[in-house]
Amino acid sequence: MKKIELCGIDKTCYYDELENGLELYFVPYEDKKNYFISYATRYGSDILKFKLGSEEYTPPLGIAHYLEHKMFEEENGEDPFTFFSSNGTDSNASTSYDYTQYICYGTKKFNENLKYLLRFVNNPYFTNENVEKEKGIIGEEINMYQDMPDYKLEMCLKQNLYHKSPRKYDIAGTISEIDRITKEDLYKCYNSFYIPNNMFLLIAGNFDVENAYNIVKKEMKDIPSGIVPKIIEEKEEESVVKKKQVLKENIEVPKLAMGIKISNKNLKVNSFEQDLYYYMLTTILFGSSSEFRERVRNEKLLNDFYMEWEKIEDYHTFYLMATSLDVDRLLEEIEYELSHISITKNTFERIKKVWIANEVKMGDSVDKEESVLFDDIIKYHKIIPNRIDLIRKMNLTTMNNFLKSISFDNRSIVKMIPKEKKEDILE
Amino acid sequence: MQYIKKNQGSYNLHMVRTKKFKTITLKIIFHTPIVKEDITKRNVLSDILLQSTSKYSSKRNMIIEAENLYAVDVYNNTQRLGNYIMTSFILQVLNDRYTEEGNVEKAFEFLNEILFHPDVCNNSFREDKLSLVKNNCRVALSELKEDTYDYCMIRLKEAYDKNSPVSYRMIGYVEDLEKIDEHNLYQYYLNMIDSDYVDIFVVGDFNPKDMLEMVKKNFHFRKVKKEKMKYELDNKTVRKRRLIAKEKEENNQSKLGILCPLSKMKDYEKNYPMVLANIILGGGVDSKLFKTVREKYSYCYSIFSSYYKLDQMIVISAGIDKENYSKTLKEITDVLNQLKKGKFQDKDIKIAKELYNNSINSIEESPMNLISEYLSEEIVGFETYKEREKIMNKVSKKEIIHALKKIKIDTVFLLEGDKNEEN
Repeated sequence: MKKIELCGIDKTCYYDELENGLELYFVPYEDKKNYFISYATRYGSDILKFKLGSEEYTPPLGIAHYLEHKMFEEENGEDPFTFFSSNGTDSNASTSYDYTQYICYGTKKFNENLKYLLRFVNNPYFTNENVEKEKGIIGEEINMYQDMPDYKLEMCLKQNLYHKSPRKYDIAGTISEIDRITKEDLYKCYNSFYIPNNMFLLIAGNFDVENAYNIVKKEMKDIPSGIVPKIIEEKEEESVVKKKQVLKENIEVPKLAMGIKISNKNLKVNSFEQDLYYYMLTTILFGSSSEFRERVRNEKLLNDFYMEWEKIEDYHTFYLMATSLDVDRLLEEIEYELSHISITKNTFERIKKVWIANEVKMGDSVDKEESVLFDDIIKYHKIIPNRIDLIRKMNLTTMNNFLKSISFDNRSIVKMIPKEKKEDILE
Repeated sequence: MQYIKKNQGSYNLHMVRTKKFKTITLKIIFHTPIVKEDITKRNVLSDILLQSTSKYSSKRNMIIEAENLYAVDVYNNTQRLGNYIMTSFILQVLNDRYTEEGNVEKAFEFLNEILFHPDVCNNSFREDKLSLVKNNCRVALSELKEDTYDYCMIRLKEAYDKNSPVSYRMIGYVEDLEKIDEHNLYQYYLNMIDSDYVDIFVVGDFNPKDMLEMVKKNFHFRKVKKEKMKYELDNKTVRKRRLIAKEKEENNQSKLGILCPLSKMKDYEKNYPMVLANIILGGGVDSKLFKTVREKYSYCYSIFSSYYKLDQMIVISAGIDKENYSKTLKEITDVLNQLKKGKFQDKDIKIAKELYNNSINSIEESPMNLISEYLSEEIVGFETYKEREKIMNKVSKKEIIHALKKIKIDTVFLLEGDKNEEN
């Protein structure tokens, strides 16, 4: 296996690609008892339509997530959760926009668990009966999210930002869409995307690399590579769908969501560096040590605050969500900040110092480090071994050039206000 | 790894030396018997201490200082543990070998500044800062119902016994918030520093002698405290007929909460057979409740049970469709009754023991796990985790059945989802 040194956390990543195309990323920790295994496919809710032979196929919305649930059915009636629990191991699975992953994590029986994880994900078993049974369970999962005001606000914002992007849809789909799912749909999606050359295996923690490698080679030797179907995507437009919307909900304190869709076409830095500079920008503008936060805090304009970046196609989208007793004034403050950007060297260097320290701290926890590596593999199709060097090399000149190449004009705003007028909460 | 406990008179210092981490983690815990009317004050106090200090006039200045100290994390939380309320201040900083000589000490001085040099004048906290904190607290209180799970648990416990500490709302109460002023909050602060029991935990790679000196220099408490009251709540008589309470909210999903108090048990039974009984009942994705209510009947997405030893109860919760309320309650009751009759396999016990052993094995992998382990040994009176693993492996089916027979459904609370689609 190829050795890749992970600078700053004093660890080595062992990488290989099997003949059938499965990528392996192994990061051993000598000083830990626990390990974390993730077997993942690059198939999530982003894939709405694909070519199946000469036909175009559009499965019901939410199918990737439904498939994840149904992978826990075994022909012999065994339950994977029971298998892992019997080994004193935790297990789980999750579906996102661009992946589905199956994980197990524990402190013992590594060999058995690794073999079993590969086997159960490599062997689907869907019947009409077991597919039907899941509709009630996922229906309740959808209902659970529908009762969360923040989630509703975010989904509304995404629908207003994106014309075509699958990100405007709920990962779990809708109750009426999942009701249409059949076992044939599940097999079609499974056979198309759960193929070794569309998947990877990431292991971090206490395990022996050579032993793990031999197990994986043996388990995967009869699993051939396949042809990843052509995915049919509709190009996202540069504009937003709707610039403003007001939602009335059963809440007490108003909420605000802002999304900014930014085109990357004029940027001259690579994908990882784009992320670094975008995050740097919003950390300086809106992070916990920003002047903005201090100002809105002192004026009682901010209660909860959350921000995030998302990349789709050639765009980066910035999300900002807040709870405030005066969302209109908060919005004015945010807009002011976006039109008066000025970054000092001092602040820029301080944030770099914080990021470098956080990278080193990350190495203390197997699961946190695993999660960073996982994100790298999904986002950049490789791990970034020299994150600290790249942070260290960031500079204000590039930041300022970066700023000149992007625009914040493409915004969408959603306000969520209480259905009924509430008594004044502010003192 | 090495654990050293030092009784410093006014506090206990627990040092866990381990080479596993690149960080030093320090946790200072203030604990005192809980008083319902003081919960809100406690929350406001711990928040205001992180707003400013005499040296750092604003929250921003404090955060910038923390960033300069190589991103030292400082945060706090307040929680109830049985009869006690605990306010913790946690600091996590990189070991000097990854930053620069003296950085850890500077981080300790920073926490010293937060705890012992608050931003006060004329024996009062500053009015503007208090107003900010009270505003945040008021907003959080008004949003209580947005988290339907938390709200259901609060209402369940209030229905069970509104006078018991179990039912106290740890988020606080609006009526108590309005009574807080700059002066009485400062008096409460002085009282907490002077009268609370204090435990200090440090985890990381350090020289114990140097660490002891550094802690002594930065965290000094004057008074030696008197004997403590017990942490565990008293047993309460279980209702002859279960109490069923309901409330409607405009939600899609209904939340069901079920509270089962424990009858009188010996410590061994509470620390061992009952722990396994809860894992088998609803401890995870392989539990009887999960397999029956979710997997067999598809009534819910989430269902689990939690065991609160100090509160002497098991609480079951599930997110369901209101149409399935009676059927879900019946199935949960049936699962519990079947277990009491011993209708479970040796395999179920083996799984529960394996899961327990795994959690024991994971203790040394995280500084916060280590702290909560040594805290439990200190105040809950647990045996060491290595001893517990051995004892747990010997627990028999008979003992688990015996423990299960001592729990009974007492209170049921349904937060009924009453969404009108036209709304």
